Amino acid sequence: MRTLEEIQIGDNIGPEPLFLEKDRVRAYCNAAGLAGVPRFTDDELARKEGLPGMITPGNMSAALIGKLVTDWARPANARLIRLGTTYRSPVLPEHHLSLQGFVTQVDHGERTAELDIWIENEDGDRLVTATATVKFPPKA
Amino acid sequence: MATILDLHSHSEASEDSRAPVEAYLNWIKLRRRERPVNGIVLTEHRQWNAAGDYRELEDKYGIMILKATEAETDYGHMLVFGVNEDIAKRFDFANIRIPAQELIDEVARMGGVVVPCHPGRPTVGLCEHYASKPPLHNVVAVELLNGGSRRGEDERTAELVAKYGYRTTGGSDSHLVSLIGVCATRFEADIKDIEGLVRELKSGRYQPVDFRAPRKPVPRAVPEQTA
Repeated sequence: MRTLEEIQIGDNIGPEPLFLEKDRVRAYCNAAGLAGVPRFTDDELARKEGLPGMITPGNMSAALIGKLVTDWARPANARLIRLGTTYRSPVLPEHHLSLQGFVTQVDHGERTAELDIWIENEDGDRLVTATATVKFPPKA
Repeated sequence: MATILDLHSHSEASEDSRAPVEAYLNWIKLRRRERPVNGIVLTEHRQWNAAGDYRELEDKYGIMILKATEAETDYGHMLVFGVNEDIAKRFDFANIRIPAQELIDEVARMGGVVVPCHPGRPTVGLCEHYASKPPLHNVVAVELLNGGSRRGEDERTAELVAKYGYRTTGGSDSHLVSLIGVCATRFEADIKDIEGLVRELKSGRYQPVDFRAPRKPVPRAVPEQTA
């Protein structure tokens, strides 16, 4: 990524293709203390809750969006200082997803950029949407 | 001259949006070639933003900003255009179970118009309510194109429209800056203010327009090897 001075409203972030295997979701659940929540780990038990199968925890979706932002910000030594997420539809493992977004606002006084980010499925449905604020270092 | 308006958007005045109005206008300016809207209607959730004054922004960007509300009723969510003092006194928009038929009839009597939005959406859309309750009377139009619809929702609305013969509108339902203007309504008439919008919504001389780019296939990720 470039410096704040080079960033423009409308710049793309991603798209980053993403394929979440069920085992990867289960590994996240083990690490995050969610192993005992069947909707995140077991298709059959998730279906008993009325879901189409096991789903990705919201925290994992937020973490993936956060990583997209921090990967974008790191080369400029910028920091993610706020992330807000909206969960519109379950993120199902074993689907071809895409993480992407745009720069929507740039504040040179505060040295921040506002981003729109989302996770999209094969149908183009935005499953999780987010806004993020990235803080850039002072001008050299 | 035709007027193209995004009839459904949420600014940071709605609790689930962080989009400043000026950022919307900036985005429209940036994407005008793809989304040639002349104006937007702010339809904040469960409230009438009487104090909001956007005239300076309108002048700065040359884009019309009108105000309405998205009300919650016993038949799902509905956009209320032409809210005035009488309507604001008559209805408590914070109430999430406003009787829909009463809202439609009373708003019309007091000079406004009600348009059910995202009818095909589960729980909050008209279609699901029509499955268990009698249809509403005096529906002028419904929102056929909603920028936030998931696959199948607008198609379900199209079936409703075919069955009941409703007129149709479009709106982005944007909660994100970058989604403003993706769907809109093209009016045959020149619209300058909210009274003109209400008049034209009742006239029927309009159609929904979809400015979304054709969906590109999601790039195929290579599944990672798990240990």
